[in-house]
Amino acid sequence: MTLNFKNSYILDIYSLLGRNEYNVSIKPDKLIYDYYDEEKSVEQGECKYQIRTIKGILKKTKMNIEDIDVLVGGDLQSQLFASSFSARKFDIPHIGLYSACATFTESLLVSSLLLENGCKNIIATTSAHNLASEKQFRFPIEYGALRKKVNTFTATGSVSTLLTKNKSNIKIESATIGKVVDLGFTDANDFGACMAPSAAKTIYEHLKDTNRTPDYYDLILTGDLGIYGIEILKEYLKKEYKINVKNILDAGSMIYDEKYLDTIAGASGPICLPLILFNKILKENYKKILLVGTGSLHSKTSCNLSESIPSISHAVSIEVIK
Amino acid sequence: MKLEEYKKIVKSISKKEDKLKNVLISFLIGGLLGLLMELLAVFLNKKLNIPLDTAYMWVTVFLVVSSSILTGLGFFDKVVSFAKCGLIVPTTGFAHAMTSAAIDHESEGLIKGVGSNMFKLAGSIIIYGVVGAFFFALLKGVM
Repeated sequence: MTLNFKNSYILDIYSLLGRNEYNVSIKPDKLIYDYYDEEKSVEQGECKYQIRTIKGILKKTKMNIEDIDVLVGGDLQSQLFASSFSARKFDIPHIGLYSACATFTESLLVSSLLLENGCKNIIATTSAHNLASEKQFRFPIEYGALRKKVNTFTATGSVSTLLTKNKSNIKIESATIGKVVDLGFTDANDFGACMAPSAAKTIYEHLKDTNRTPDYYDLILTGDLGIYGIEILKEYLKKEYKINVKNILDAGSMIYDEKYLDTIAGASGPICLPLILFNKILKENYKKILLVGTGSLHSKTSCNLSESIPSISHAVSIEVIK
Repeated sequence: MKLEEYKKIVKSISKKEDKLKNVLISFLIGGLLGLLMELLAVFLNKKLNIPLDTAYMWVTVFLVVSSSILTGLGFFDKVVSFAKCGLIVPTTGFAHAMTSAAIDHESEGLIKGVGSNMFKLAGSIIIYGVVGAFFFALLKGVM
C-alpha cells in the first residue's frame, strides 16, 4: 500500500543522545551523559529525554505550542510510557504509535497523512533507552546477560522532527505501509535476521507500486539491521525477489565506532535512522532517499510462548530540494 | 522462501561464536574459583579449627555475599561478560541474578518492586532445587 504526498515537508530535527556504552560517531544537538537524567528510574529518564527534544525542536524552529496541531510519538516501552507521559506536559493533541524500531518511519507516514488532511505543523517524536529495553525485553540491567556477536545494542536517546505543510528543502514524496512478515525465525538475539525479510518485502512492494527500480534512489537507508542483517537483506532480495541493490546502507551499523563491530552487530532502536539520516546522510550529496524503518514485533511473553518473531517495515521516500 | 533455506543464508553471513574459546575461559575461571574456594575451606578448617562441613557453608556464604556486593557496585556484569559461564553456573551466578533483579526494581518500592521481582530469575533455581532435593532425599532414604 503506497501513498503519495504533495504537501508534506520536514522542516527540522532536534536530536538528543543519552548515555551510550559505546562511542557514538555522530554529534547530536544535545548530549546528556546520564542514563537517568536526574530522574528516579531509567524509564522516567527516557521520558525526560523526549520532553527535552520536544522543547528543543520548538525552540530551534522558533514555534510555539499553539502552532503545533498534533504530537505524534512512539517508543519501545510497554504502553508507550515515555511518549504518553511526555505528551501530558504539552497542550497538543497526541497520537501514540508502536512499531518497535520502525516507529520513526511510521510516525513520518502518519504525520504526512495528517498534513495532507489540513494539519499545518506536526511534531513526530521517538525515543529509545538501552537500559529500559534491556529490562523489558531481556534480563535485569546489572545481570549483564551474555551477548552473541549478532546482537545489536539499543542506542539511547530521543529525536523530534518537525513536519510542515509549507515548502522546505526535504520533501516526503511517498510512503509504503508494510505488511507483518514472519518466516518462522525464532532467535530473539538476531534481530537483523528477524527483520530482513520484512524490509525486503516492503522494498519490493514500494518499487512495484511506484514502478521504480532501485537505481531510482541515490540511497536506500534501512533502520537497524546491523552489519550482518544488511548483508542478509541483500542476499534475500536477490534470491526471493530478483532485485539487485548496491546503493543500500544500514543506519544501525553506522552509529557506533567501527572498532566495536567485532563484538556487536551495531546499534538498534527507532532513533538510529533519524540520527544517521540528519547528522550524516543529508550532509552528503544524496537527493532521493528511501528510508526503510525495520521493527521486530516480539515481546518477552511471545518469546516465552515459543512464538516465532514477526517483523514490520515501513518505507518513506524523501527528496532533497536544493 | 522456506525457513530452512532462509536459515542457510543467515548462517552463511552471520559471524559464528567462538564456542571453544568460551568453553575454555568458563572452564578455567570456574575451575580457578573452585580451587580458591577449596583452599579457603581448608584454611578455615586447619587454622581456625572450623569443621570442614561448616567451613564449606561459610565459603558458600562468602561467595554469595561478595558477588552480591560486586553486583551492587556495578562491577560484576563486566566480569561476567568476560568470564561467561565460569561465574554464572556457580553460586555466584545465583546471587548475581537475585541482586541484579532487585536493583532493577528498586525504584518501584520495597514491596511491589524489590520484594516481588527479586526472584524472577533465581526463583526457578530455588523451586527446582528444593523439588530436586526432596526427591534425592527420598531416593537416599529408600536405598
